[in-house]
Amino acid sequence: MEHELDEEMRFHLERDIEQNIKSGMTPEDARYAALKSFGGVDQSKEECRNARGVELIEYTVRDVTYSLRVLLKSYGFTIVVILTLALGIGANTAIFSFANGILLRPLPYPQSDRLVVLDETALKRGVNSMSVSYPNFLDWREQNTVFEDIGTYYGTGRFSLTGAGEPVQIRGSRISHGLFEMLGVAPQLGRTFTANEDRPEEDGVVILGHDLWQRTFGGDPNILGKKITISNRARAVIGVMPPGFRFPEVSELWVPLALTTKMFTRTDHGLQSIARLKDGVSLPQAQSEMNNIAARIEEQNPVTNEGLGVNVMSLHQYLSGDYREGLLILLGVVGCVLLVACVNVANLMIARGSARQKEFALRSALGASRWRIVRQLLFESLLLSIVGGALGFVLSIWALRLLLSAIPFQLPFWMNFNVDLRVLGFSIGITLLTGLIFGAAPALQTSRIDLNDTLKEGGRGSAGIRTRARSLLVVTEIALSLVLLVGAGLMIQSFLRLRRVNIGLDPKNVLTASVVLPQAKYREDDQRAAFFKQLVERLRNLPGVEAAAATATLPLSGGNWGRSLTVEGYPVLSVGQAPAVQHTVVTPGYFRTMGIALLAGRDFTDADAKDSPNVTIVDERLVRQYWPNENPIGKRVRFGPPEDNEPWHTVIGVVSTVRHQRVQEDTRQSVYLPHQKIPVTGMALVARTSSNPTDFAGAIRREVAQLDPDLPVSQIATMEEVVAESIWQPRLYAALFAVFAGGALALALIGIYGVMAFLVQTRTHEIGVRMALGATARDVFKLIVGRGMKLTAVGIVIGVCGAIALTRWMQSLLFNTSTTDPITFVLISFLLSLAAFFACYIPARRAAKVDPLVALRYE
Amino acid sequence: MTKQQADLYKQGTLELLILRLLSSTNLNGWDIMQRLQLASGEVLSVTPGALYPALHRLEARGLISSTWRPSDNNRKAKFYALTTRGRKQLEAQRKEWEQFSAAVSLILRDA
Repeated sequence: MEHELDEEMRFHLERDIEQNIKSGMTPEDARYAALKSFGGVDQSKEECRNARGVELIEYTVRDVTYSLRVLLKSYGFTIVVILTLALGIGANTAIFSFANGILLRPLPYPQSDRLVVLDETALKRGVNSMSVSYPNFLDWREQNTVFEDIGTYYGTGRFSLTGAGEPVQIRGSRISHGLFEMLGVAPQLGRTFTANEDRPEEDGVVILGHDLWQRTFGGDPNILGKKITISNRARAVIGVMPPGFRFPEVSELWVPLALTTKMFTRTDHGLQSIARLKDGVSLPQAQSEMNNIAARIEEQNPVTNEGLGVNVMSLHQYLSGDYREGLLILLGVVGCVLLVACVNVANLMIARGSARQKEFALRSALGASRWRIVRQLLFESLLLSIVGGALGFVLSIWALRLLLSAIPFQLPFWMNFNVDLRVLGFSIGITLLTGLIFGAAPALQTSRIDLNDTLKEGGRGSAGIRTRARSLLVVTEIALSLVLLVGAGLMIQSFLRLRRVNIGLDPKNVLTASVVLPQAKYREDDQRAAFFKQLVERLRNLPGVEAAAATATLPLSGGNWGRSLTVEGYPVLSVGQAPAVQHTVVTPGYFRTMGIALLAGRDFTDADAKDSPNVTIVDERLVRQYWPNENPIGKRVRFGPPEDNEPWHTVIGVVSTVRHQRVQEDTRQSVYLPHQKIPVTGMALVARTSSNPTDFAGAIRREVAQLDPDLPVSQIATMEEVVAESIWQPRLYAALFAVFAGGALALALIGIYGVMAFLVQTRTHEIGVRMALGATARDVFKLIVGRGMKLTAVGIVIGVCGAIALTRWMQSLLFNTSTTDPITFVLISFLLSLAAFFACYIPARRAAKVDPLVALRYE
Repeated sequence: MTKQQADLYKQGTLELLILRLLSSTNLNGWDIMQRLQLASGEVLSVTPGALYPALHRLEARGLISSTWRPSDNNRKAKFYALTTRGRKQLEAQRKEWEQFSAAVSLILRDA
């Protein structure tokens, strides 16, 4: 009742004040007069209420409902603002979730921050990281005092699983005993490997991943002790790991190390090593102890371990390191987009504030304090940002899914992009922050207006201030967009250059597929050599296949085989100093199939077999270094540690350089060897076809099945896909940059259009006067466009400075592109000016059409 | 007339005037004040301190009712309307007033 009375009195007072103002009083006078005529009873009421704490809540509720009403009434404005914010916040939340899953989330092991990776290094040769040799690992385990435990394993390999329906390839790993204990993960069923099972004669056991167990064995609870066929060898299942556990990367099947005598040589580097730090031991402490141990090993084994060191790195950093820089830059980029969105919304708020000047002037005349009006406006912005944030959060889930679908391989086990508290907190945090950022400036500005001017002059008085504030915002937007556009331009240019790189082979119309022969069934070298020879011949005879071959390491697919090189006539270097070459085993016809140019000599033939002389084909780069002015044919090289005295190989051919490891650079010189001589088990088939290569997938499967029905074929892809996938990261970054910069540009253009339209609207009178005084439509047009272009120019200058300062952080993401590439800067500035010109064009045309008579009468 | 009597007299008059104004349309407090002033040619003026208590008294006696709805400046205001009882009361009082004023005029003219 008391509340109703208040409202009724307040209404009465407002009407009185309104009327007093209409009759020419200043708002202060109007208010005073109204209160006086009211009898002064209520004058003290507002003050009393402000002093009472309870009323604050009531006021807040009232402000919020009032804000809601205001926003619902101008729904066009509300929708534009909410969508702008939703896109900005959504993009930020999506990128943050992405970064969170990789950089921030702890690994899914107990006390995962104590886990470290141990790598060997050969810094003198420029090798920062290489695989570990088993004897070195044993010494580390023996001598260290800093690790609670240390384990070793082979990287992810492929195993075939037969006997349960179609033969399938499973990703798995050979691991040492104690590895799972060290990770702190216990099996769900059964046990892990014992020390005894590291020995080859005891290794007939296997541990399954939960998913594999469910998928292939229907979650059979009696699986323990059953024999299953893994790569043609019967192994007893001794354990099943818990759900979600994979190690490393995506492996879901584990067999023992199966130590061979070869593994006991210090030059055989092939293992990965992982350890858990003791409590209280820091990473630098561990590193310094490992340095001592490595020095001791080197002292005792000067030939094999010369120049070898150990690098200790946190497991998390080891796994996420490749992504770190790109993700941080992306976070910066989306942050910029959100800032542009905020600026744009602030701009809209100011424009709207001018339409609401009277409302605020009246409230202020009624005794509402400035703080109350600021608070009211902030409530409105917060409401907008909360709705926008909620919508953005939903959008982000969808955007993240889209983002992840651009990653062309199965995500490693440790990447987890589910929404967690951190993502939720971030989302809420930036939502509120956004509301404050875009709300604060307009609120302060709107509330600062001079009441007298406003009410008397019908809003024209402070238009100048508003235009200045809005111009400042537009300049900010233009500058930020320019930075983003330059970034995007650099990324796109870098990506296009990357696509144009001559990788040394012709990927068009080539289909590839992987086949791995199980060691148990194809025990003899001859069997394997014969199998692939026969398979390649079958493929070659398929109608529509122009050429076919096989290679142990397909270019750009991540497969590598490095070996030390010794060149006859050059000094013999120890294994620690000898250069490593890419050692590629191929079948005859490989170069023709892949479109690799044979520059001199001959290709391998079927005659380069087991008992024929050792021959090799080398690439151009190797020739340039060792025999720059000589005929390389007939020269001799050999591979492996010098003390092993492996046989010499005679060079019979030279081929063009292939970018084997990365499109970005040639990392190693290459040598090629015939498969008949080195009959490895796993080969990638390559077939050049006369029509769409994917049509031949079925034919390849059929040919393999006819030779061996138990053999799975996997990784069927065209060579073009393989190349494209190898540069997925630059592609993704270029695409994201383009999307974000495009969004920012659109917002900036809307911003500049809005300000120019507002300018024309508030200066209609002035334009009318000008035209009455003889200005032509052309002059007016030039006036408005000139004004807009001046803002754009200032924005561009600031943006260029900002871009020069900021883009250097991108250098590591760019390929053959300078961060200050002048063409990009000039082109982007030009395009931005052009776009800004069109944004000014419409309001300027409207201004030029102003009828001076109407304009003057209107006021 | 004592001061109290004058107030009572005025009070009765004010209530009658309010009922009369509300008989043709629904009005809020501020409108009522404006119309009183306008209709009387600025002769009669009433303060909010007198008007609102009168309105609330009339409402309490069931002669008028009230609703909250937006006014023409879009702010919510309390609008008053005449009830059936109010209409009867208005008729009765108007007759009374006319008789009374006729009597008074008669006396004033003849005296």
